[in-house]
This record gives sequence, structure tokens and C-alpha cells, in this order.
Amino acid sequence: MMDRSSLVKGMRDAAGLAPALFAFGVLFGVLAVDRGMSPWLAVASSAIILSGAAQFALVGLLPAGPGAVLVAVTGLALRHVPMSAALARLLPADLSRVRRLALAYVLVDETFGLTVVAARRSQVVVADYKTGADVMLVVNWLAGTAAGAGLGSMVDPTRFRLGELFPLLFLGLAAPLVRGRRAWVTAGMAAAAALVAAQVLPPAWQVTAAAVVAAGVGSRFRD
Amino acid sequence: MTDMALVVAVGIVTFASRVSYLWRPRRTTHAQPFLDLFPLALFVSLATVGLATPDGAFTVGPGLAAAVGGVVGAAVGRRSIVWVVAFGTATFYLARLL
Repeated sequence: MMDRSSLVKGMRDAAGLAPALFAFGVLFGVLAVDRGMSPWLAVASSAIILSGAAQFALVGLLPAGPGAVLVAVTGLALRHVPMSAALARLLPADLSRVRRLALAYVLVDETFGLTVVAARRSQVVVADYKTGADVMLVVNWLAGTAAGAGLGSMVDPTRFRLGELFPLLFLGLAAPLVRGRRAWVTAGMAAAAALVAAQVLPPAWQVTAAAVVAAGVGSRFRD
Repeated sequence: MTDMALVVAVGIVTFASRVSYLWRPRRTTHAQPFLDLFPLALFVSLATVGLATPDGAFTVGPGLAAAVGGVVGAAVGRRSIVWVVAFGTATFYLARLL
């Protein structure tokens, strides 16, 4: 039995991200069709992969061949392993396998961040809260992709430069988590490591490497 | 490899990494401090890397102004996501006008 208030709260919180997610989906749809994907395959990829970063890597590296795509995607996907472990700790041990698979299917940065913050700040049933946020994300991501793939070059989703606001979104997700000396050290370390990683690592590996290093260093400190 | 097969392969890699710890609950007490801090480290890294240009450079522009506005919003709004996004977005469009 789902906790309706947690489900609705998850949907409501994720609704704030909806315009950016939809616009990002449009951008992907336009780009995918522009790179030679059929519209239905663009939408199918959003349903099957459900990861903005991996999908942009896919269409960006298509000309380089499947090997390059899979190496890049593996680098991007590695960050999901600690995300998966962190989320698993918030879930009850008796949660069904089906629910776990569904939550894993939509283990996406944005709704993961909302869930971690909600779990620390308020009394929510974590699995139900994340399910609500996930529904909002999936609907907007698929609708945005379909719109972008269907309209193609008739729209220019870069006009409002919404993509440039994504760092802000992640900053917003990080802000409530910065409490205590250890968190400050981790945040500073993550920024520094990301600055270095942006200079020396391929794009697909930058975030994962910086986050692992920062969390590893931060965990050595006491609050 | 067809495009469809590649999409499925990417989906499998992505899902495998996502389901790794969710499939079967495991105790990870030794890694607890790391896992507590990983979300914060991940979001700060995503935000920082997102400010870089494709060649890894960081330039002064609306994106950076938005980040500064977001930090101010966090300080004013007691670390609220809404305040961060609202201040940052306002700063972003203000910087584009200037």
C-alpha cells in the first residue's frame, strides 16, 4: 500500500524541475533526429536508457562507433553504483523486488537528489516519495523527447539556453546537504576535483572521478 | 551493430549500474561515511563540470553568474532548493541582459 501523501509530495517537488526536464528532452529529441536517428528510436532510447547524460553521449559519439559509446557510457554509469548503495540504505529491507527494480530503473541524478534531501528533511516514505518524483520525471522526459523528435529543426530549444541552468539545479540539490565540517570539506573537495578533472579527464569520466575522490577524502574527516 | 542494438546495450550498462545495490539489500556499514557524503560530492561535481565549456575551460558569463546567484540564494534562503534556483535563474537572465 502506497503512502499517498509521500507520493504526491514527490510529484509536487519534482514538478519544479519539470520545465527544465521537458526542455532538455526536446533538446535531445532534436539532436537525435539531427544525427540520423529515427523519431521512434529517439523516443525508445529515452524509455530504455532514461539517462540524459548517457543519451547525449550516445548521439554525440554515434559516428565514432559502438566501442566509443560504450566506454563513455560506462564512465557515466559508474556513478550509479554508489548512488544505488546510498538509496538502498534509505529503503526498508522488506521492499519488494519489483519496487526495487522500478526505483533502479529511474535512478536519475535529479530525483535521487530530491529523495535524499526529502529523507533527511521530512517524514516521507522514501520509496513512495521517489516513485512520485520518478513519474513526473519520466513523463516530462518522454514527452520532451517526443516533442523534439517530432518537431525536429522547426524548434530551437537552445534559444532560452535552459541547458546552462542545469548546474544551478545541481547546486540547489547540493545546498541542503551542506551541514557540518565534513560536508563543507567534501563540497570544497568536489569543486576542486571537478575543476581538475575537467582539464585532464575525458568528459564521461569527470563527474564520477571527482565525486568518488571528494566523498573519499571527506569521509576521512570528523564533524 | 545497429542503432537499436546499441541503444539496448547502453540501456543494459546503465540499468546494471543502477540496480547493483538495489537488487538485494546489503549492509554497507564500513562504507557509510562515504555513502553519506557521495550525493553531496556528486551534485557539486555535476554543477562544477556543468560550468565548463566542452574543452574544459571556465569562462566568466551568465552560467557562472547564475552559480554565484545560486550560492547567494542558498545563503539567504537557508539552503532551500527553491531559493537557489530562483536567485540563480534571476541572476542568469540579468547577466544575459548586461
